Amino acid sequence: MEQGREHLSVQNVILKLQEFWAERGCYIASGYDSEVGAGTMSPDTFFRVLGKKPWQVAYWQPARRPDDGRYGQNPNRVQKHNQFQVILKPVPVDGQLLFLDSLIYLGVDIRIHDIKFDDDNWASPSLGAWGVGWQVMCDGLEITQFTYFQQAGGIELNPNSLEITYGVERLAMFLDGKNNLYELDWGNKISYAHLKLEEERQFSIYNFELADIDMLRGLFVQYQKEAERLLDHNLFLPAYDYVLKCSHAFNILDARKAISVAERTALMGIMRNLAARIAQKYVLQAEGENHG
Amino acid sequence: MADLLFELGVEELPALAVSGIRDQLRDLFLARLDQDQIAHGSIECVASNRRLMVHVPQIPEKTVSKEETVLGPAKRIALDDRGLPTVALKKFCEFQKVKLTDVVEIDTPKGKYLGISRAGGGKDVAALLAAAIPGILAGLTFSKTMLWNDSRQPFIRPVKNILVLFNNKLLDVEFAGVKSSNKVFGHLLLSDSYFEANSFKDYIQGLSKNFIILMEDERKSKILTEILDVEEELACQVKLDDDMLNYYLYGNEYPVVFSGTFDAKYLRLPAEIIATFMTHEKKLLPVVDRAGKLTNHFVGVANIPDENKKVSRGNEKVIQAAFEDAQFFWEIDRKEDFFALKQLLKNVVFQKELGTYFEKVERLASLVDLLVNETQHGSLRAKLQKAAFNCKNDLLTKMVREFPSLQGIMGGLYLQAAGEDETVWKAIYGHYRPRGLTDEKLADLGAGILSVADRMDNIAGFIGKGIKISSSKDPYGIRRDANAVIKIIMDLELDLDLAPLIRLAALNFAKNDADLEQNCKTIRELFAARLENYLKDYLKYRYDVVNAVMGQDTLLIRDKFLKAQAVAKLVDSGMIEPLAALHRRLKNICSDSERCNFSEGLLKEKEEKILSDVFKESKSRIDGLIMKKNFLQASSEILEMKPIIDRFFEKILVMDKNVPLRNNRIALLQHIDELLSAVADFSLLVEIKPGGKT
Repeated sequence: MEQGREHLSVQNVILKLQEFWAERGCYIASGYDSEVGAGTMSPDTFFRVLGKKPWQVAYWQPARRPDDGRYGQNPNRVQKHNQFQVILKPVPVDGQLLFLDSLIYLGVDIRIHDIKFDDDNWASPSLGAWGVGWQVMCDGLEITQFTYFQQAGGIELNPNSLEITYGVERLAMFLDGKNNLYELDWGNKISYAHLKLEEERQFSIYNFELADIDMLRGLFVQYQKEAERLLDHNLFLPAYDYVLKCSHAFNILDARKAISVAERTALMGIMRNLAARIAQKYVLQAEGENHG
Repeated sequence: MADLLFELGVEELPALAVSGIRDQLRDLFLARLDQDQIAHGSIECVASNRRLMVHVPQIPEKTVSKEETVLGPAKRIALDDRGLPTVALKKFCEFQKVKLTDVVEIDTPKGKYLGISRAGGGKDVAALLAAAIPGILAGLTFSKTMLWNDSRQPFIRPVKNILVLFNNKLLDVEFAGVKSSNKVFGHLLLSDSYFEANSFKDYIQGLSKNFIILMEDERKSKILTEILDVEEELACQVKLDDDMLNYYLYGNEYPVVFSGTFDAKYLRLPAEIIATFMTHEKKLLPVVDRAGKLTNHFVGVANIPDENKKVSRGNEKVIQAAFEDAQFFWEIDRKEDFFALKQLLKNVVFQKELGTYFEKVERLASLVDLLVNETQHGSLRAKLQKAAFNCKNDLLTKMVREFPSLQGIMGGLYLQAAGEDETVWKAIYGHYRPRGLTDEKLADLGAGILSVADRMDNIAGFIGKGIKISSSKDPYGIRRDANAVIKIIMDLELDLDLAPLIRLAALNFAKNDADLEQNCKTIRELFAARLENYLKDYLKYRYDVVNAVMGQDTLLIRDKFLKAQAVAKLVDSGMIEPLAALHRRLKNICSDSERCNFSEGLLKEKEEKILSDVFKESKSRIDGLIMKKNFLQASSEILEMKPIIDRFFEKILVMDKNVPLRNNRIALLQHIDELLSAVADFSLLVEIKPGGKT
């Protein structure tokens, strides 16, 4: 902890980031209520970066990565972590400085920590989305992904958006000088371990060992069909929910090593095509609104 | 004289791309100065991840004035039969905005032309530069570009500021939606945003006040000196390679070396894993003790001073967590039956159109079979085939999926840990090596053989698929694979003729017989070209020495090297001149003649009888020397016959009118030529000076 810096719990980190970005004009949304692999997959990002309308949003999003589970044994990796997601559209001129200001707001003395913007281009092939940017390292710890969005749903973005995704646990560990995320104070002295350790253990066993492969394969196909059916009715928002469900089923299958390389390409292609069709419908509707 | 300072401020460029971008910028700048005929003195171009600077201390304010001629149409086209201007001439005048009366006749080597002559040059350099700079910046090329603002100008990362001072005056330039200004950004973390620069002096002073070490060599020597300090302090050696040095040098504007330690219990993990996690994952350097053993220290480079040890402590925690991950992969992967993974390779595509990895390893096993026969290592067959069948299994392990650079190595380590036979695991462990000609010498025979099989399968596959390589294009690294085969053969001293191996490898991908022949030919030519390059450019043998041994159409790589070595020694010892003269003389006669039969009964004169006897007596001995690859001794023994051959030429008229006699003499000489040619074509040695190496 920096001299004189107050102790920050995980919930303090989230609250302070909400305060900071709310003051800078962001709408504070809730995280999406479906399993997502990243804050980017929330409709508040995926749809709103499309089209012309400016958009500033910040939200706390739990993110599921079945393959990252470590049975609660790794001090740094979990199958469900928390992201704090910020979308600024159009890209502000001083995005990097805004971000550094947010760290200062959290109490980081940026003159004594090695904060680096280390090139790392982000891509989500299943959403047809990619961007250019960096992972932000703080004394060697990756605390944030900082990305200039280029495409979503296969559509080139104009204007572009800036996406800042803070890793909440990483940031809290750094701020509280903890080596192990399970030692973190979530808030008011409730430990991270108390809240999450059993969850991590059980989901790791499920994701790596027990998830029913045949059932998940079947679900993937059902979700896909449902998304297609809904698209035929122009209901692209519920259709998108089913793409997210496909994606989560895919991720568990992947953790179970049940997906071959050829199959991976095929399943990704299915999700990417759906995402592209959904994005096109959204843009058509959004443009209609603009003109109407 | 004026001076020019240009700085492009950018958000962090990928560190390893910086030096390439700097070189491009300098080349484009120079080309544009030349194009605009702006004479200039030295030009300095330096870069970091946040700025690209060009400084030209001596640049004129105006370009040189001179008469300039603009050539129009040829006279016979410009004027018709009556001497009146044609449409071509009128169009020319219109385009040049001149009157017909301004046109003059100009003599050129191609004949008479019409054109105009006018005052040129004398242009305002500041205006030329202001106009040129946006184009120069737009001309930079990157492997990946992005868009971020309304300018829709693709660039590698967002542009923050443009400073163009010509004679301390700001030039108006706009690029990617950014207008030039006097603002210069200081250190991202240590300085207060920006300062103003109105001269080169301001600029340099401002940067150093704002914690920017602009000059690349200063940053480099700071890094290297501070690493030396750590080495001295810890009495150890820091493992720094060029990539990591460049990463630090171009990724920090104020580099500061720091060190730290981690829990020694992680040293139980294989050293290869520790090193990979440190460098690839965490951008930290491993530290070894005097005996070369990994220690629990690490070294890194920060962009700020680390007086409070915050950076060092932070990195200690991070590396610890990374090792936890490594341990997790290492343990979870070993729970699997490694050999069972082979079946799963049926799902892993090697390359489009080239099948799966399962099919690849089946091919490798048959190539290995041929290789152990050809290299007289039949006793290794069973073990190396087992290695071949399983050498790609580790592509399915968590560790390799996370860290592809560990492929091969992990397969070896997992099998070693499972108690597998040493020949088998070592072959898998080393079969991705070498990565280049400059890699350290290879020592493991099994790994070398498996690697040759794997590389040859790659080469035959890509060539079979119709991939063409050119001097600038080699997307699948076919050349690198061929170089690797050459290095393996050399390092392990394999007496391997590549021809049968090429045929077997190509057979797997050929569509028909004609295709097979064509592909074999392409691959043989590839190897001949790589070998020539290896001898000339890597081993630095003189070009005529290399030509002398490249002639024969065999692909006995090591033989050709040993021959080149022998010929170079002969050149150095001054023995080459008589040999070259002899071989040229023999060739002159032999090359004009059909192949003739030799019969001792037709020998008539004393000198030819002596030569025949001496040759017969020497030949078996020299053949033996050639068999034993003692090419130097073989050559000197041939040279020993020279006085007798000279005497033969002196006394005997080869081109006798008697045809049988003549042909018999030619046949004798042909035999000697063949013996000599079995070593090298000495007649090709043109520069008979000492120094077999360039």
